[in-house]
Amino acid sequence: MNAALPMINRPAALLLSSLLLASCSSIPMPSFLHNPASEAVVYALGPRDGFSSPLNGSLKPACPALVFDNADFLLTSAHQQALNSLAQEMAKNKKARLLVAGYTAPNLPADHARSLSERRSLAVRQRLIELGLEAASVQTVGFGNDFSPSGPSSDVVVIYRQN
Amino acid sequence: MNARALLLTLTLVVSHGLRAEAGVMDRLRGLLSFGGSKSKTEESKKIMPRIRVGTFSGGTGASAQQALHQELLDSREFFVAGADEKADFVVEGVSVGGRVTGNLKDAKGKDLFQRSYAAPGLDENLKALTDDVIYTITGRPGLATSRIVFVSDVSGKRQIYICDAEGGEVHQVTHDKHAAVAPSLSPDSSMIAFTSYRTGFPIIRLLDLNVGWERGVTDTPGSSFGSAFSPDGTHLAAVMSFIGNPEIFVSDLNTNTAACVSDSVGAPSSPSWHPDGRQIVFSSDDGDGPKLYIVEVPQKEGQASRLFRWRTGYHFCTDPEWSPDGRHIAFTTRTSGEWTVAIKPYPNGGVNVVQTGGAEHPSWSPNGHFITYVQHGELFVHDLRSGNRRSIVRGYGRISEPRWMR
Repeated sequence: MNAALPMINRPAALLLSSLLLASCSSIPMPSFLHNPASEAVVYALGPRDGFSSPLNGSLKPACPALVFDNADFLLTSAHQQALNSLAQEMAKNKKARLLVAGYTAPNLPADHARSLSERRSLAVRQRLIELGLEAASVQTVGFGNDFSPSGPSSDVVVIYRQN
Repeated sequence: MNARALLLTLTLVVSHGLRAEAGVMDRLRGLLSFGGSKSKTEESKKIMPRIRVGTFSGGTGASAQQALHQELLDSREFFVAGADEKADFVVEGVSVGGRVTGNLKDAKGKDLFQRSYAAPGLDENLKALTDDVIYTITGRPGLATSRIVFVSDVSGKRQIYICDAEGGEVHQVTHDKHAAVAPSLSPDSSMIAFTSYRTGFPIIRLLDLNVGWERGVTDTPGSSFGSAFSPDGTHLAAVMSFIGNPEIFVSDLNTNTAACVSDSVGAPSSPSWHPDGRQIVFSSDDGDGPKLYIVEVPQKEGQASRLFRWRTGYHFCTDPEWSPDGRHIAFTTRTSGEWTVAIKPYPNGGVNVVQTGGAEHPSWSPNGHFITYVQHGELFVHDLRSGNRRSIVRGYGRISEPRWMR
């Protein structure tokens, strides 16, 4: 290989290098190095003033609870469908506000459960904002397994309407 | 927005519609893989120092002498010699009306310390004397005055309780409207940081056990939980989600400012400090189960910090806690479908499974010889030297999230 180097003159080497560098941008990144979630724009939460918690009084769910399986926080097509319907309904009332509350199964370690439930709530909020809801009108809370929602499953996200 | 460099005043409220780009932060996750060397959780057997309890004069002197003998035996730090036997150390003193003055001498008769203890009860004074004797001779903190905090639902709501290392003196310390969970004791045992639902939302509060006052540390939108005091007690690591992702923040308790130290796209939880205060281990679930990560805590503003995955060989790892000497990390994992407490040397070494069958949420004793954990709602203390364990609180509702005073 060393013997071959003198055969390439300097302008040719520069041209070759330039072509190689230019082609780098068109080479797709291997999937294991590429994390699509890291490119998403996330929306910080606005002030919570005026939002009420389901712990302090009965709140009406805005849609059926979104059930999560396998301790996951990614939204399924069923979740997307339910959120699309909710976003269409919410478009009629621009002043409406929502509290997205996450819950997990009782058998998870408590602190992990709190974080997972909050992460699920944030994923739901993110999707609602992408569907056109005002970021300031959607708050989240993660109850983990400290509290249980009413209903057959505890591994859920419940979207509560605010009065 | 580089969230790692972001210094945020907690009292500032994030404005409407503020956008934070996730993933642009400088993530330096090393793919470190450790393993191979043998676990060192069992300390090499050392010859125990011999101690003798000498005469205690005064009205309660005889009781003090007898009780101190038992406290020193229970500590398992010494061989407690009989009255006529030779010893490396002798402790003697005076006890009147429950007050105690103790005097520790070495074999040559040289005074190592002389202290008076004037708490209301004889037992309390002797426990304090025992811990001082242990610390003076071994350099390690004793457990006689240490405390364990935990959560119990015995009152119908999850509230925080405190007990001594033997499971005695159980007291309820929070009476929140909805629930109080995830307690953490400050290094001097004077304060508890915990997650309170009193507003209906999870926020972090501090309770001073000496004077009884409480104050909020966070009241940011979203959720705040999982607080852990730094070794010097001046900072609190916790999970907060107001930037749109749950992240690990380090709050300065004096200035009420906080800095984001993690860079998660998932669900981070349970931060725990290295005893040098320069690193934090935490659990984070990026979608394939919680794993353990270690982040260096920047010592000054703008300083870069390294964040890397710490591999344990298990797919599901939560509730990590660094040992008092920084040489091991205890954590909860899952084996055969059940919660299991395990310990792994840091930075590398083989995993030592401490307890299977539903044991979870380990926390180290201040001397590093024991861990406490819960199993099926009971509180256990496990001696890492002998492997023996015992239930110290049971029949007290469902107990969870124990933390030993550091």
